[in-house]
Amino acid sequence: MAEDFKEMPNNPLEHDKYAPKEFKVLGRRGITRIDGYKKAAGKAIYTRDIQLPGMLYAKFLTSPYPNARISKMDTSKAENLPGVRAVLRYDDPEVFGRRVVTTYGGCEDMLAGYAYFEGQQIGAVVAADTEQIAREALKLIDVEWDVRPFVLDPEGALRSGAPLARPEWADNNLNEVPPSPLSEVFRIGNVEAAFEQADKVIEFKAVRRYHGGADTELPCGIVRWEGDCLELWLHHQHPYEHKWTMHKYLGVPMNKIKVNAPYNGGMYGGWNWIAYSQIATGITAILAKRTARPVKWVFDRREDFVFGSADAMVTYFKVGANKDGTISSVKLKSFYENTGFWAETHLLENTRIPNIEAENVTARVNKGPTIALRCEQLPGCFVMAHVFNHVAAELDMDPTEVALKNDGAEGKDINYLNKFKRKHGFPLRDSLRECIEAGKKAIGWDKKWHPAGAKELPNGKMHGMGFIWSHEWDDNRGAGVAGVFIQQDGSANIVAFRTDIGVNAETTYCQVVAEELGMKFEDVFFRQQDDVYLPLMTPDGSCNLTTNSYVLRKAARKAKRRLLELATTEVHLIERNIAPAFPGMQPEDLEVKGSEIFVKSDPSKRKKIAEVVKDMDGSMNWGLEYAAIQCTTHAPVFAWAYHRQGRYGTEPGRHRLCRQAHFCEIEVDTETGKIEIKKIVNVNDVGKALSPEAVEGQQYGGTYMGIGRNLNEEYVWDPCSGVLLNGNLLEYKWATMLDIGEIETIIVETGMGYGPYGTVGIGEDVATITTYLLESAVFNAIGKWIDDGPITPDKVLKALGKA
Amino acid sequence: MKRFAHLNARTLDEAVLYLRRYGGRAKIIAGGTDVLGRMKDEIVPTYPEALINIKTIPGLDFIEEREGSLKIGALTKLEDIARHPVIKAKFSALAEAARRTASPHIREMGTIAGNICQDIRCWYYRAPNNRFPCLRKGGGRCYAIEGDNRYHSIFGASVDGGCLAVHPSDIAPALIALDAKIRTSERKIKAEHFFEVGVCKTNVLEEDEIVTEIEISQPPVGSKSAFIKFAARETIDFPVVNCAATIVGSEGTVQAARICLNAVYLKPYRVTSAEQAIIGKTISDNSVEDAGIEAVRQAKPLARNTYMVQIARTLVKRAVLACG
Repeated sequence: MAEDFKEMPNNPLEHDKYAPKEFKVLGRRGITRIDGYKKAAGKAIYTRDIQLPGMLYAKFLTSPYPNARISKMDTSKAENLPGVRAVLRYDDPEVFGRRVVTTYGGCEDMLAGYAYFEGQQIGAVVAADTEQIAREALKLIDVEWDVRPFVLDPEGALRSGAPLARPEWADNNLNEVPPSPLSEVFRIGNVEAAFEQADKVIEFKAVRRYHGGADTELPCGIVRWEGDCLELWLHHQHPYEHKWTMHKYLGVPMNKIKVNAPYNGGMYGGWNWIAYSQIATGITAILAKRTARPVKWVFDRREDFVFGSADAMVTYFKVGANKDGTISSVKLKSFYENTGFWAETHLLENTRIPNIEAENVTARVNKGPTIALRCEQLPGCFVMAHVFNHVAAELDMDPTEVALKNDGAEGKDINYLNKFKRKHGFPLRDSLRECIEAGKKAIGWDKKWHPAGAKELPNGKMHGMGFIWSHEWDDNRGAGVAGVFIQQDGSANIVAFRTDIGVNAETTYCQVVAEELGMKFEDVFFRQQDDVYLPLMTPDGSCNLTTNSYVLRKAARKAKRRLLELATTEVHLIERNIAPAFPGMQPEDLEVKGSEIFVKSDPSKRKKIAEVVKDMDGSMNWGLEYAAIQCTTHAPVFAWAYHRQGRYGTEPGRHRLCRQAHFCEIEVDTETGKIEIKKIVNVNDVGKALSPEAVEGQQYGGTYMGIGRNLNEEYVWDPCSGVLLNGNLLEYKWATMLDIGEIETIIVETGMGYGPYGTVGIGEDVATITTYLLESAVFNAIGKWIDDGPITPDKVLKALGKA
Repeated sequence: MKRFAHLNARTLDEAVLYLRRYGGRAKIIAGGTDVLGRMKDEIVPTYPEALINIKTIPGLDFIEEREGSLKIGALTKLEDIARHPVIKAKFSALAEAARRTASPHIREMGTIAGNICQDIRCWYYRAPNNRFPCLRKGGGRCYAIEGDNRYHSIFGASVDGGCLAVHPSDIAPALIALDAKIRTSERKIKAEHFFEVGVCKTNVLEEDEIVTEIEISQPPVGSKSAFIKFAARETIDFPVVNCAATIVGSEGTVQAARICLNAVYLKPYRVTSAEQAIIGKTISDNSVEDAGIEAVRQAKPLARNTYMVQIARTLVKRAVLACG
């Protein structure tokens, strides 16, 4: 048993040394999801569902203008409306002039008296008996606006004379506040010298238009005071951080804050990083205090369109390549709207391209905040896709060949990566080649791929094949803490709390514990929404299972040790002693399988865990056979563990080793510009699939999200007024089930992940990368580039000279 | 949403009576898929004081063939029309138009009369809380002229020379192509004459007039009809452009044609020039090409909707070809 504790600490650069050789529960198909029936049957409880006695509803005033300041505001009519219990104004003492911390990137006005985008929640908040009364009250607020000129285009915003997008924050429109990068030039190698040596040098521009996310559950939150204790119900990815932010906003000690994180209808990171997603709860706490009532704040669908993804960007490319397909040099200049990232990341972390120069410039514009929506790697995927697409086309090469030629890391090739794998104990597998081969076979690439614009089908449509690749970028980082507690009937609980993020995550955590404890899957349960004070990862969407499974594995192994100690230890009471379940044995002599403990040397000697952990005496309960609540003969089996995995996960030298490749077959109707998706093949090297169905869920779900963005998704603002025109689910067009043909999912398991058992998560990957899958397919179909996402029919027809 | 009265009419006369009593301040509700969204978003400055529910009137939900015509009750749901074997066989443009309208849930609620009486689509007109008090609401101007007009009229404007919204119905062009008649509580109107553009007005109905029935004559021997829709997605969406056609042929030659586009203008847009281009000819790639060209000859696209002209042209071609 001693080896159970050796795995701590784990070297974050190394492969998991402590994985079992055989699995009983993990990796199995057909495990019943804990949340499956509840969610499918509408029985799962979301924050939106929760009604507390006496609860009020809070609604926020929103700005009708994209750039405006409140010069005068009269709330008296709203205050006098029957049913209105409180109106909090931006100039009230609790909030006036207060800028408060938020999770991501500094601070934000608690309740601003100005707006920098249309629809922004500012000025006043009403708490009323019903949502409807709160809405009516907002209409009764008379506001005099100082309406200011606005700017929507990032390049335009940086030209001299452009209106200031956010004059309360800066006297220019350049934004270098984290997480946006500084607008300095990043360099490795020497791009200019490499361009001179290159066989081909190409230059082009690409655009990705502002898009967003729509949660199936609309944003909301509930606050209740009980004396000086605060209780929250959150539609949020960061429940534990709320204890910190509420502590900072309201001065409540963290030990007096309880956070409930019920099921939520989608998170995708984005909403959680918006400053207002936490501040709204802080504001509501002020209203709850004022009214001495629980208060629920609610957004409607249009208010959910307050933010977008951080790949709202324009990039200018210059790329040098050699005839053999190796890319020698990439120069980038990217302009972002409101929040930027490092667009060169995937070229750096994922390829052998030795010369890279990149400049990332972020402009403040009068649109909602942009942030990591499903993933901050969108700009990286955007850039990498365009570089590889154009190089393959320019060299007239099969794009899968160009990918294989350039696989590597930090400017070094695959041989370097292989040395790294050997040194750190990873299996020596060629992940990209395996992914590409599996995908090519599934989609029939060798028969179907053709030069651009070369295949007209009998139905008159143009046939196109698309391909995209990258690494798997689960950050495998962060920290978590959790316990495992065995009840007296032999069932076990995971003791921790987290938000419902991921496909089937709570179930997979139970699988990890069952596997490590030797229990049946159905004997382990996790109610992740309960605040039991031990936070598991969900603080960062880029990592869940890969860190949490280390935590749970450690806790489960410790609990197993305690269990076997209990099974072999005599209990001494005052008047008598109780013999252990396995007299004369040491913990090392025993093993646990299928929720039964048995003697290794004689497996016929076995007892159910339930028999071992129950109260052995029952004397305090007058001999009755029920779980003793007043006294037990022994301490319960409980163990907890903490694990930290890396820092950011992306530190230089911690190379990502697993790859992904995605393929598509499309038909383009050149008379209407319609793109028909006939087939998508997703290939993901997940290292080890702990729950194969969950992996497939990520692949399917990610494909709908990514392809929907690629085809249609775009916020549209009126250029004259700056008002968002399509803030609803009819005119903001998510892909439906009918818009994508067959999806074939393939799981590759090379074991080269940093997570336990060699796993790597793909929750962010598929949606993020397939957002740029169609560009190459459309080019392959019609021989024209449409480097302007989404690729809508008007752009296809324009490229064809028909519009 | 503001408060309003909800009155269940038991007879048509009672519904008419309510409408008269409220004098323009009441709205009819059947499926409610359009009127409720309109009210919820408060897109116009005036708000109805009452909704008159006509679902409670018996005898308005039927599909029958009698007296040589197909008769469809005003309350017939779109899904029932889409699935009806006689409509699928003989009036295929209508069945297809119904099948391609909205989404399964909405088709199970939305009625045929509600579909042709629905309000216009324009994201300025429909912006919540009357954010853009446009011409169509009796306001000052059309915001789409200088704004984002990617889904607006390609055949110019109306209402004081300004409104560029489009009529979004899938059913309307099919009814016009099939030369349907619309019976109301007052009269019988040809489908083609039913649609009219005005402030807060999309059809010729008086304030107290209610659609009761759609009537379509049996198609002549040798006729075929077709409907084609182009939308951003395969379900839910309103059309970017749609087109319905009925072609009456004899020995391979087109004797008569009715072709109607929609979502390209403020009301369904019958393209008689395209009909003329095909009459007397056989349906071939060449002849339909001419029909397509003629259909959009008068097009006046805006800054962002030139692509709709190409799509309209293609849909006219394909609708006629589908009748071949």
